[in-house]
Amino acid sequence: MTAYVIRRVLTGFLILVLLSMFTFLLFSALPADPAALTCGKACTPQIIEANRIRLGLNLPLWEQYWEFVKGLFVGHNYGAGQASFQCPAPSLGYSFRRGECVTELITSRLPVTAYLTLGAFIMWIIAGVSLGIYSALRRGRWQERLTMGGALVGYSFPTFFIGLLALFFVVIKWQLLPYPSYVPPTENPVQFLQTMILPWLTLAVVYAAFYIRLTRNQMLETLDEDYIRTARAKGLKERTVIGKHALRAGLTPIVTAAGLDIAILMGGAIITESVFTLPGIGRLAIDSVLEADLPVITATVLVAGSFIVFMNVVVDLLYAVIDPRVRLV
Amino acid sequence: MRSVKRNSLRLAAAVGVSALVLAACGGGGSSSSSGSAAAGGEPQKGGTINVLTLSEQFNHLDPQRNYTGVDLAFASGYLNRTLTQYKYAPGPDGVTLVPDMATDTGTANADATEWSFTLRDGVAFQDGTPVTCDDIKYGVSRTFATDIITDGPTYAIDFLDIPKDADGASTYKGPFVTEGNDAAAFDKAITCSEDGKTITFHLNQPVGDFNYAVTLTAFSPVPKAKDTGEKYDDAVVSTGPYQITEYTKGQKLVLDRNPNWNPDSDPLRKAYPDQVVVSFAIDAAAIDQRLIADAGADQTAVPIAGMMPENLSTVFGADDPRFADRSVDANDPYVRYMVINTQKVPNEKQRIAIAVAVNRAEILQIRGGDFAGTMADGSISPTLGAAYQPSGMWTDMFGQEIPATGDPEYAKKLIAESGEPMPKLVYQFPNNPVDEKMAASYQASLAKAGIEVSLQPIEPGEYYSIVMDPAKAEGLIRSGWAADWPNASTVIPPLFGKGQSFNLGLIDDPAFDAKIAEAKAMTDANAQAAKWAELNKEAMTHAWIVPTVFGKTQYLWGSKVGGSFMWDAYGAIPYGNLWVKQ
Repeated sequence: MTAYVIRRVLTGFLILVLLSMFTFLLFSALPADPAALTCGKACTPQIIEANRIRLGLNLPLWEQYWEFVKGLFVGHNYGAGQASFQCPAPSLGYSFRRGECVTELITSRLPVTAYLTLGAFIMWIIAGVSLGIYSALRRGRWQERLTMGGALVGYSFPTFFIGLLALFFVVIKWQLLPYPSYVPPTENPVQFLQTMILPWLTLAVVYAAFYIRLTRNQMLETLDEDYIRTARAKGLKERTVIGKHALRAGLTPIVTAAGLDIAILMGGAIITESVFTLPGIGRLAIDSVLEADLPVITATVLVAGSFIVFMNVVVDLLYAVIDPRVRLV
Repeated sequence: MRSVKRNSLRLAAAVGVSALVLAACGGGGSSSSSGSAAAGGEPQKGGTINVLTLSEQFNHLDPQRNYTGVDLAFASGYLNRTLTQYKYAPGPDGVTLVPDMATDTGTANADATEWSFTLRDGVAFQDGTPVTCDDIKYGVSRTFATDIITDGPTYAIDFLDIPKDADGASTYKGPFVTEGNDAAAFDKAITCSEDGKTITFHLNQPVGDFNYAVTLTAFSPVPKAKDTGEKYDDAVVSTGPYQITEYTKGQKLVLDRNPNWNPDSDPLRKAYPDQVVVSFAIDAAAIDQRLIADAGADQTAVPIAGMMPENLSTVFGADDPRFADRSVDANDPYVRYMVINTQKVPNEKQRIAIAVAVNRAEILQIRGGDFAGTMADGSISPTLGAAYQPSGMWTDMFGQEIPATGDPEYAKKLIAESGEPMPKLVYQFPNNPVDEKMAASYQASLAKAGIEVSLQPIEPGEYYSIVMDPAKAEGLIRSGWAADWPNASTVIPPLFGKGQSFNLGLIDDPAFDAKIAEAKAMTDANAQAAKWAELNKEAMTHAWIVPTVFGKTQYLWGSKVGGSFMWDAYGAIPYGNLWVKQ
């Protein structure tokens, strides 16, 4: 087990190193020249050249990459004298476009995305799994058709559509909530909830729809198994049969899906964050791509990658807990 | 050129179109300002003004790096006082130069190579330290640190009498460099009187309107001890009526009253609201919807950017009383045009033929029709006051009236008269949907006159670095411009002067250059404006450019905002003039 975890963490680390190299290569091949992008009216070749030095783009690619790696451990120093400043380790570089150290930028955005993801996850997993079980138990009846029809509708609508619809009716037309404006929960819990409730619901509707179908299918499959009949024949309470025998056996794919969904959302719920103007990782990523802000792009790609690697390990470990047949070696 | 602030940082970079079209300053002209009389009652003190923007932060609040029309309107109203500024007034009056930190609008010597300003008593930084000549001098010196103080205007470098090295760069490198730096030259270029009250700028050329240049916050003071270089952007020391209490990028900027601002020293700013809160990162469509809905705190809200095209008919389409006194639809300082490269098309008759053949009406339609602008007839925008005179280029300049849809037959005749075959041309444009449609329109209308044009779309981020390179510039180039301050001295010379920054057509006309030099030295604003109007007309007779659209912008604000209108000086809402109706 321990050896397994260590091996997985090392592989994950290697994947991230490769990912960062790949991002560096990819963006050095971009047609846009970041040195020319910040050049204003009096743009001369000299200024572009000076910009290139300032942004460190004059160095060979491997050296730029080395600077990046070095910064992770010892931080970066920029400028000299009175105009000097530092991005402390672990430094992911400095965005001259935004005037901020990238690590600070990421850590200020991460909680927003984390709140968004976790809140939505709690809603969709509860709604998805319970409605999935419910419709499996009402197989062939109108309750199942209603639930599955609803799930199909929810699943078909893209998040931006549901999000904009919710904004328009709840906030603009009926004015049930003030316009979303993010504040940390520690600062103003009421405004935090008012801001987050719609994004949570939006994500929850779309994702719950998928989990309802997934759970229902899993349940239908296991409910037909012989051991369920045996359990019922033994006179076990229906509650135990469903919860302990049927659900647990069908849980593995649900956990896999949930782990990956969380990881992807943590890397940035781009559309939901944009619609509800939440200053999270997703917005940061999309903005920095449009601005060709290489340090920020690299950092957001790495953060998103880290979550996927990390959640994969977590999911694999959970398998062993859920399903005793799985042995991690 | 100030960059166009439509939707900030991200759009400016993405579209790149905007990245080089400058924002700027108008003067008078055709503001059909429905909101001009919207002041509505007596201004009151108190309340909070809410500013809504799509941007995640200001491009720059560092005064020496701020170069965006609306950002300048914002910063100059609340945080950065300058020697002179423009009057808060709708219409042509909004470009009247008035003293701000200085006691008057400056004194020039006989040939306008030396300008002096005297500081008022009681001007101070937010910590109470009085502002002296040395602080302004230090602020201006930062412009020279071009590796740190990026994106800002470079007029200090262009105009101050400091030697240039072989590459054309200033020998003075700003305050952050100690070695190999010609600080002595800078000390001579800006001198302070003994009492620190009078500042004198020594220029390398006659600049008749230097007192307009100092309205830019690039000429505002910075306390040396508080300067953190790159990081000063986040911690500006205010001289205005407000100071920064909180600046969380991506969320909000909060301005509260500056206790050390002395109203007696400030004839311009009335500082009505108690607080100003800028909310960042709000979807552009949502900003429009909120302002239209006008609910709760949005009743005291103003935007940074103009409205989205899809919402314009809601607000301006019908004479809706809900919006009548809280919206404005007026010319902004932008002029859109197509450059004809004089090196590729040296024959003037042929250039005129190109201008005549273009379907200008279709270009305006593609840009968005009547809300996007009006048909242009020159390089000087109607917001530039007296400098704008109808050039007559579409009425009689070319021998007959040219319809807005173009006249291919007349163009063919002109080409025949030109005595040489029309060269094949390439049209360069930034690769985005609107420009792509415009390119197709140019290609089609010129084809009707027998002019063969191929298209060269260019990655937006690289657009200007390519077309500004004489080796890569083709025959036809999409471009746009707005004056840096409400004087055509920031239009005619950069566009048509030999070797100037934005002379994309590589015009080399010594006689015209001489007339530019003559106009630049004029200190009489009216005489100078007349001269610019004349030079604009002359430039059009050579068909160096084909002007197509004078831009327009629409703003909507909350029903409890007083004192808002289109401030022609910056093509923006006059932030420093706003008050809350209680």
